[in-house]
Amino acid sequence: MRSLIRQVTRKSRGGVAVRDEIAEGDIIIAGRGNDCAIRLPDPRVMLHHAEFTMRSGELYVSAAAGADLRINDNLAQIGKLETGSKVRIGPYEIEVQPPESDFDFVVAVELVQALGDDLEKLVARSQIHITRIGLTMRWWVWLLAGAIITGTFLVPFVFNLLVGPPPDKMALSAGKMNYTPSPTSIWTSGSISSAHKFFADSCETCHAAPFVPVQDNACLSCHSAVQNHAQPALFPFADLNKYACQNCHKEHQGNVTIVRSDEAFCADCHKDLGSMSTRTTLDRASDFGKQHPEFRPTVVKDSALHTMDRSRTLNENPPPQENSGLKFPHDKHLRREGVKDPVRGVVNLDCADCHTPNETGETMRAVSFERNCHGCHALKFDSFVPNRELTHGKPEEVFKQVYDVYDALAMRGGYDEPAAPALVRRRPGTPLTPVEKALVTNWAAAKASDVLNGYFGRGLCAECHNILETKGATATNEFGEPTAAPEATSVAAKAGVPVLPAEKTWTVEPPTLTELWMPKAYFTHARHTDVKCTECHAAKTSTSASDVLLPSIAICQSCHGGEKSADRVPSTCVDCHRFHRRDLDPMHPEKAAAHKAADAGVALPQKHPHVAQSAPLPRWETP
Amino acid sequence: MHESILVYRKHRYLKWALALAVVSALFYMIDSPLGQPNGGTWLGYTLGTISGGLMVWLAWFGVRKRRYGLGNVPLEDWLSAHVYLGIALALIATLHAGFQLGFNIHSALYILMMITIISGLVGLYFYISYPRLLTENRRGLSTEVMLAQIAELDRDLRQIAMTMDDATNAATLKATQDTIIGGSLMQQLRGHDEHCPTTQARLFVEGSDGGPQDAQRRQLLTRLIRKEDLLKRIRRDVQLRCLLKVWLYVHIPFSIAALAALVTHVVTVFYYW
Repeated sequence: MRSLIRQVTRKSRGGVAVRDEIAEGDIIIAGRGNDCAIRLPDPRVMLHHAEFTMRSGELYVSAAAGADLRINDNLAQIGKLETGSKVRIGPYEIEVQPPESDFDFVVAVELVQALGDDLEKLVARSQIHITRIGLTMRWWVWLLAGAIITGTFLVPFVFNLLVGPPPDKMALSAGKMNYTPSPTSIWTSGSISSAHKFFADSCETCHAAPFVPVQDNACLSCHSAVQNHAQPALFPFADLNKYACQNCHKEHQGNVTIVRSDEAFCADCHKDLGSMSTRTTLDRASDFGKQHPEFRPTVVKDSALHTMDRSRTLNENPPPQENSGLKFPHDKHLRREGVKDPVRGVVNLDCADCHTPNETGETMRAVSFERNCHGCHALKFDSFVPNRELTHGKPEEVFKQVYDVYDALAMRGGYDEPAAPALVRRRPGTPLTPVEKALVTNWAAAKASDVLNGYFGRGLCAECHNILETKGATATNEFGEPTAAPEATSVAAKAGVPVLPAEKTWTVEPPTLTELWMPKAYFTHARHTDVKCTECHAAKTSTSASDVLLPSIAICQSCHGGEKSADRVPSTCVDCHRFHRRDLDPMHPEKAAAHKAADAGVALPQKHPHVAQSAPLPRWETP
Repeated sequence: MHESILVYRKHRYLKWALALAVVSALFYMIDSPLGQPNGGTWLGYTLGTISGGLMVWLAWFGVRKRRYGLGNVPLEDWLSAHVYLGIALALIATLHAGFQLGFNIHSALYILMMITIISGLVGLYFYISYPRLLTENRRGLSTEVMLAQIAELDRDLRQIAMTMDDATNAATLKATQDTIIGGSLMQQLRGHDEHCPTTQARLFVEGSDGGPQDAQRRQLLTRLIRKEDLLKRIRRDVQLRCLLKVWLYVHIPFSIAALAALVTHVVTVFYYW
């Protein structure tokens, strides 16, 4: 089968263009596909839309499955064609033309309905492309970016210049509690620490100049009294004046304290301080659980001279000795059978009977004779004068008191001791001659000497105190006058009776009680009340007051570990030690002095942040 | 194409990004700064500089891709690196912030940046998944062809219904004249029209009894079903193409907003040093 296919194109300005194509084959296919003999390039046409065939000399057209045809404007699936027949395939019209020689049939193909109104209308009412969402992309970009720059930068910046707090309102100073918030406070890089929160929104309080890091002056305007860590002259590498406050105290870290507590900070030097300084006496310390020296208590070396010693650690042999001038065997007082109390009978003493915490619960109140000892240890010295007791704590007065007691007894008479002379034992009130008076006063002096140097004097004191020998010295009172009954001396001298020398051969060593054995560390009993005293303090086996009953570090370490400890209470250096040592001078003495001078002239308001700092601080004795 | 972005040059840019992220994370873990990790330590400043540089560079992609054919590095390299380094930025910036968030402009920058990155990831997912779905859905037809076929069906439908009863003719006319494809953003994204007049006409014709016109009714029904199928596909097509672009309406404005916030962040951080 040989066919001629005429592609007809009508030009817009009139006229027709015709292009002839020759197709051969038993079946002539019309469709969109490139392989079709009759090519109908339009989307409405199927790939293989229709087939033209010759059957017994007749031309037939048939639609492919699912395709539609119109033959002479009638919908049809198949149909016979004659010259003049018009087949519509989608927008194309195929007209059968009169036969020509050499061709079985001739058809003219023309696009008669370009994609028409239906498509245009469908496209017009449909929106199938995302062109804009409300605004164009560019507008969204400008809007969002503009809002960010304006809202977060320009507005706060301009407001800060125009209506921000004036400079004099920003200055930070001790005692000032009202600060004007800055509009720029939304620029904060994080919450201010709890202590500084009250001026947190007033940026210029600390940030005095733009693009300049915060200067120490901002901190020192309140914290001028903060002390050094070590003496700068001896340990120049630890001179804090070389560093800015904010090297260590980082603000804007949240509502927390800005005091450093990390172990590594201290360990940086203290893990091997010896390599940094030959002057240090401190051992290596980097972690409380793993590397920390044994405790080295500051003990009394000589109670009389008030000298202290910090040379021995608790685990040394011999261990450090507390030479307090006192004798006190803890074991005897705590023994299981109890001790004899003159009033209550046998009692079992407990630690708390003598050791009571002070107001803060931090340390124990100093033990005192009157409160803790006197109940059992009354200072009675003569069973014939059972109501008299020696005055505790004033050895000079004691000498005078004892002389006075016996002098009065001798003058009055009636002292029933068998060994006493008859004059003294006489009926009370019997008058004495001057010579007799001299004799009895001499007796009184001798008796007082006997008592004071005997068991009820020296012996009684020596039960608890160290006795210092003062042989040859004349006992004197607090004014340096002789105490040995001066009137007796003069009376005896007048009567021609030889005067017995009132010789004071001993005195009590002034005791020294240690308040803190480890003054460079902080410990509070208040947070350890659930622990029994004896779990830390080996008092039950202590036989001597010179025993330092501090627990060894091993006992602390049984509960406390280093900062990163997993099986102990994580404890870091500053849990026990202060970095800015209160026993040292301020880091900035001139600022501290100026501050103090200013404070002196100004009545402080109620809520004064400086009060806590200006309160007298304990200054530990450094040995 | 979509695979080539991710596996481009044997994952060269994935390796770069991984190296950058791993090195940053290692330094972060090793570093033990004073207090909480934050942007103000030496590592914080370093990570911040890297993050800021990355943000500017990532945004420059918008400029670079408009200069197709210019530059020595092919755009595929840019896109592949844009994707991987953008993901790495999420980690590096988080490390720079020390995992801290607050109510301030610095956190605002972080949130804007994260929205940009997440929208980019969503876009990446779309670009990976949807071209295949689009092709499958089109079954070789372009959107324009589908529209044209619908228009053609509309013409046939009208012609067939012309000689039928008034009700069928009216339903068919409505189906040909009121059927909308796409529409508003939400309609495009929905991907179907529950009030589609074509579906309503099909239901009507299905439920009606053609009687003597049953052959016409069947012809009508066949075409309505074909139109419905075409509509379903073209609406899905519109939905997918819309999704392929809609994420950019988040990605681009937020990226520029993040750049604006970056300027504020850097200036204010040093203003109040």
